[in-house]
Amino acid sequence: MENFSLTVKKTFEVTRDSFIITFNEKIDFAPTQFIMIETPSVVRKPFALGKWFDDLAIGIQVIGKGTQYIVKQDVLLAHGPLGRGFVPPSGKGAMITTPACLAMAFDLHQRYSCDVFIGSLERLQMEIPFKTVFGNEKFVNLLKSLNGYDWFYVVGSDQMEKVAFNLLREKAPVYLSFNEYMACGIGACRGCAIQTKEGIKHVCIDGPVFRGDLVWN
Amino acid sequence: MELNPPLVIASGVGGMGEYLKLIDPKYIGAYTLKTVTLFPKQGNPPPRLFATESYLINNIGLENIGIDAFIENLNANQYEELFEKVKVIFSLGGDNPEEYKLVAQKIATYEKYFEAIEVNFSCPNVKNGGLNILSDLFSFKEVLIYLRKVLKGFLIAKVGVEGNFVENVAQIVKDHGWNGIVLINTIRGLEVVEGKLIKGGISGPVLKPIALRAVYEVKNKVPELYVIGSGGITNEKDVDDFFKVGANAISLGTAIYKNPQIVEKIAKYIRRCCE
Repeated sequence: MENFSLTVKKTFEVTRDSFIITFNEKIDFAPTQFIMIETPSVVRKPFALGKWFDDLAIGIQVIGKGTQYIVKQDVLLAHGPLGRGFVPPSGKGAMITTPACLAMAFDLHQRYSCDVFIGSLERLQMEIPFKTVFGNEKFVNLLKSLNGYDWFYVVGSDQMEKVAFNLLREKAPVYLSFNEYMACGIGACRGCAIQTKEGIKHVCIDGPVFRGDLVWN
Repeated sequence: MELNPPLVIASGVGGMGEYLKLIDPKYIGAYTLKTVTLFPKQGNPPPRLFATESYLINNIGLENIGIDAFIENLNANQYEELFEKVKVIFSLGGDNPEEYKLVAQKIATYEKYFEAIEVNFSCPNVKNGGLNILSDLFSFKEVLIYLRKVLKGFLIAKVGVEGNFVENVAQIVKDHGWNGIVLINTIRGLEVVEGKLIKGGISGPVLKPIALRAVYEVKNKVPELYVIGSGGITNEKDVDDFFKVGANAISLGTAIYKNPQIVEKIAKYIRRCCE
């Protein structure tokens, strides 16, 4: 873990509010690890590390001042990589996510040869190498149709993850990336606590990925 | 207490030394550990944080492993690297006066490891102890007397601006033979986020004028007390202001969340100014 700055190579507009930002630098990281990026807020914000083809990248959904700030910068101050890398069980896996997490999906796909499925509320503004469905109804139908997998990994909003977890949990273990608010990202502040069946865990050092049935009923 | 630079990492923010992975220790005067209580605390239920550009609300609730586990780790040399790199301040807490006394008894044997013992009389996020002790002057004095008797080193009270006038609290602290005071802790606050109430202690830039006034009032009334100014310090001007009103040292807390390298920047500034 270290402090560093990242220089933006290119920002891709995936949808009106989702972007992939690629960087000139390279960082060694494990799948699903994240960095904390400085914003106008008094705390840094966590973003999952990923790849976009050969480049280091993050995915981002613009939802407030902090994310608006990030997509406009040429240089970002950050520290990381943080969190535990996700090592899936053996067998064939599927990642289900949103346009905002394409960089992480690309990295996971490269490392584990898992299938990737994207659920989007609107048409994408660029070509991507993954199957994509549009709208809530088609997304639910997609989830219902996914069979023959040994594990699932779901990343998105809390609401999206809950829907996916409930539709997939009987088919195979479902792993989820948790979105709890963070201040330090390194285990110092204890702010990103979640209640699990094994007691309080911290998303920054115990996660960000947990088995869904460890956290949700 | 001699700190070079007179810059302290605030309790809670710095955890148990984790920020030494991101901050060069030569820029840290002393590193205050997260408060340790008599029994382990799992902290408050999530959500625990909410941040804006001017403040952070935290509702951690003194999550810690408890004094027995802490001492076990100490004996197992788990904090050895920390002690080698920086001066360390132990932060002591409890749920009631008896617990403060028992933690003091247990840590007394290990005082040599610490530059000072800071006692948390101001956490706003626990139902008992913390701020509650300070709002009951009888209990407060009882703890001051007992801890001064048991602990022989540099003793610091960490207080907030709630409960009592801070300068009166400082006078009591000094009258009981304590050496220093940290001004201030977070202040109770509340925000409504997506219809949910987020309660907790407020920190960050919004606290600066309140903390500055607290230091000013205390230094005027009790100039002998060693004052660590804490609250909303984010730049060189803030540091100047705290030293101008009499702070002996400054403490960085929430600012290191935004950029850990603020510590190096502020430390270099202090050293330049002091030379």
